[in-house]
Amino acid sequence: MDFPTIISITESELDLDTLLARITLPTTGASAIFTGMVRGQTSRGDAHETVYLDYEAYQPMAETKMHQVADEIRKKWPTIEGIVIAQRIGRLYPGTPTTLIACTSAHRNTGVFEAARYGIDRLKEIVPVWKKEIGLHGEEWVEGHYHPKPGE
Amino acid sequence: MHKVKVLFFATLRDYVGTKSVELEIPFGITIGGLTDLLMATYPRLENVKDMMMVAINREYAANEEVIPEGAEIAFFPPVSGG
Repeated sequence: MDFPTIISITESELDLDTLLARITLPTTGASAIFTGMVRGQTSRGDAHETVYLDYEAYQPMAETKMHQVADEIRKKWPTIEGIVIAQRIGRLYPGTPTTLIACTSAHRNTGVFEAARYGIDRLKEIVPVWKKEIGLHGEEWVEGHYHPKPGE
Repeated sequence: MHKVKVLFFATLRDYVGTKSVELEIPFGITIGGLTDLLMATYPRLENVKDMMMVAINREYAANEEVIPEGAEIAFFPPVSGG
């Protein structure tokens, strides 16, 4: 059976139930799901409030890189069955899920947790998506830190 | 000379003031060479040159890489999705 990989960059709401159903196979018994959402109040570091975030993507490259992240997951954890890597873009308000990484496998102890963790970490390193934060007192682009190597 | 498409995203687009431009560039020019040309046209890019990531045809590229004919080049800051 072919294992499903679902890559999505969308302005629409992320529908966890539908996405999860698409990576649930007859052999699946476990899934690990990570979602990130817009945080309205930040207390760590520079405490501030967020009114909304504007997300943009370099869509064709972002899709290529999301497929690459999925391939990396499958190399590291061959027991993973289905993978979802989804990023919502556009204007998103506090409480709204912005990204969803889900991995399924036969059992919980076959790397699903680690695989989903790896997926979100890599998305934040190499997938070309950016967000601008609009606060009460102005706006600024959120700066990433990772510098991918050529060909990475 | 040959024609390439150059895209800018996020902070870099704000500094340049446009999303994309089509440029005629010399054969054999590298990413580094193109960056110098862009700095001359858009001097404000000097302020953000340490955070300029670059992709050729949707793959991360090095400064020494020669730009292939008809390439799509993208400049952008380190990514901040999720």
